[in-house]
Amino acid sequence: MKTDFKKIATDGIITNNPTLKLVLGTCPTLALTTMAMNGIGMGAAVTFVLICSNILVSLLRKVIPSKVRIPAFVLIIATFVTIVRLLLDKFLPDIYESLGLYLPLIVVNCIILARAESFASKNGVLASAADGLFMGLGFTIALTLMGAVREVLGSGALFGIKLWDFQIGFFAQSSGAFFTYGVFIALFAFASNLIANKRRKLSAKQVDNTKEVQ
Amino acid sequence: MADKIYKFSSSPHVKAPTTTTRIMQHVCIALMPACIMGIVLFGLNAFLILALSVLGAVASEFIYLLIVGKKFNEIIKQFDFTSCVTGLLIGLSIGSQVPLYVPIFASAFAIIVVKMIFGGTGKNLVNPAVTGRIFAFMSFTSVMASGWLLPSIASLSGGTSLSPTTGATVLTNLFTNGVSTDLSILDLLLGTGLAGCIGETCKLALILGGIYLAVLGIINIGYPVIYIVTTGLITVCLNGFNFSYFLPSILSGGLVLGAIFMATDYTTTPNTTLGNIIYFVLLGAVTAILRHATGIEVVSFAILLMNLFVPLIDKFVINKPFGYVKAKKTKGA
Repeated sequence: MKTDFKKIATDGIITNNPTLKLVLGTCPTLALTTMAMNGIGMGAAVTFVLICSNILVSLLRKVIPSKVRIPAFVLIIATFVTIVRLLLDKFLPDIYESLGLYLPLIVVNCIILARAESFASKNGVLASAADGLFMGLGFTIALTLMGAVREVLGSGALFGIKLWDFQIGFFAQSSGAFFTYGVFIALFAFASNLIANKRRKLSAKQVDNTKEVQ
Repeated sequence: MADKIYKFSSSPHVKAPTTTTRIMQHVCIALMPACIMGIVLFGLNAFLILALSVLGAVASEFIYLLIVGKKFNEIIKQFDFTSCVTGLLIGLSIGSQVPLYVPIFASAFAIIVVKMIFGGTGKNLVNPAVTGRIFAFMSFTSVMASGWLLPSIASLSGGTSLSPTTGATVLTNLFTNGVSTDLSILDLLLGTGLAGCIGETCKLALILGGIYLAVLGIINIGYPVIYIVTTGLITVCLNGFNFSYFLPSILSGGLVLGAIFMATDYTTTPNTTLGNIIYFVLLGAVTAILRHATGIEVVSFAILLMNLFVPLIDKFVINKPFGYVKAKKTKGA
């Protein structure tokens, strides 16, 4: 079976963006987007876990009995999360500190479990690895953008560099997180609807043209 | 609001000249005494804040409507004074010490996010003015909640005015130090010698506006009274049945402003009389208990919280249709 990597890529980043389209993994999205750097750190950690767990689940998909598949998936994910935690603690203690509780909570992150369940347990190893990579990228991009917006508005800085003294405290608080998230989902839906409509019109035109030729 | 009555009553319908625009103009007029007293007490800065918050509210409504593709003439024709009222209420409910960008941000948030996105006048889930004020309070806490300025007219009873450097309003003082004898009830009523938001210190002007609205039949004066009395009574209960707390607790802070002009917003109150009584009693209880627990003014937070319960109250409190007989329970099947 030939795997369509282009489709997997657009699926992960745009059409099925885990944060903005599937609304999965909202807990870290809301809690950690106070700074853009947090988005990158969290995104990288999740992407790593996602790729590894997707590969392992895909390898073991014919061995794991379907009745106990969820505990098995969680066990696999927990293993990789532990590896990430130990690595970050050793080599990047700053990020480890700022991610705090949300790092061990990756174990129960819906995105990873959802991809293991709906993609990796049905597809080959390479396709699963690619899916993990692009899903993780979609998550990282969404989190970093949200973090950047909230950091600029809420604390007047970007990636920790101070821009100005003006701050709107609302965006640094949890209510601002919900607000920013809602606005992002709305804008994303608006943009994707616009593109879809344009494509539909284009393809309709093409059909018309071919009819005329005939 | 006219459509609201049509929805919940059967024929015959009476056509009246009351329109949303007319009602909102009356509310603007009713707010004028409070605005004038605010400007008298707090000076030019108060005027600038009021002007900017109204301008910000009206301008953001226009900009939003232009962005969604309405024609300019159409917008002017459809303009009701709701955004003016929202802007005025925001201006009245922030202190005169804030920088001038605060009212603009608060008004823009109130109109665009709370009102227009949910569908405009009459469709908003919560009161725009209250939410705009809370947005400003959370965003600019350092300037909104401290550095209160004293009015230009000193205390009439000759008592010492609260020092502005401590940043305390009468209400915070009441909860930390108990009932003070520095300010008389007359001072609290007139707003002389006490720090606070522009429109909330002079209770007499607010009460005048409330009476104006009640006489015109725009608000039912019973509801604000229920709210204020409940708050006062529960505050008394929470302070060991000490009745000297009653008047200071209802005459300090933004309770009168919130009760008369913010909590009675048509869109965010229940539709039935019983529902309204439940709503205002709960509002009073929430205000008194939260005030007691936090020691700061929470009227706006209480109104926001209770606004969210309005759909629930409307779901369970339904008017009995005229001549309706409850179906008898049939035993067995």
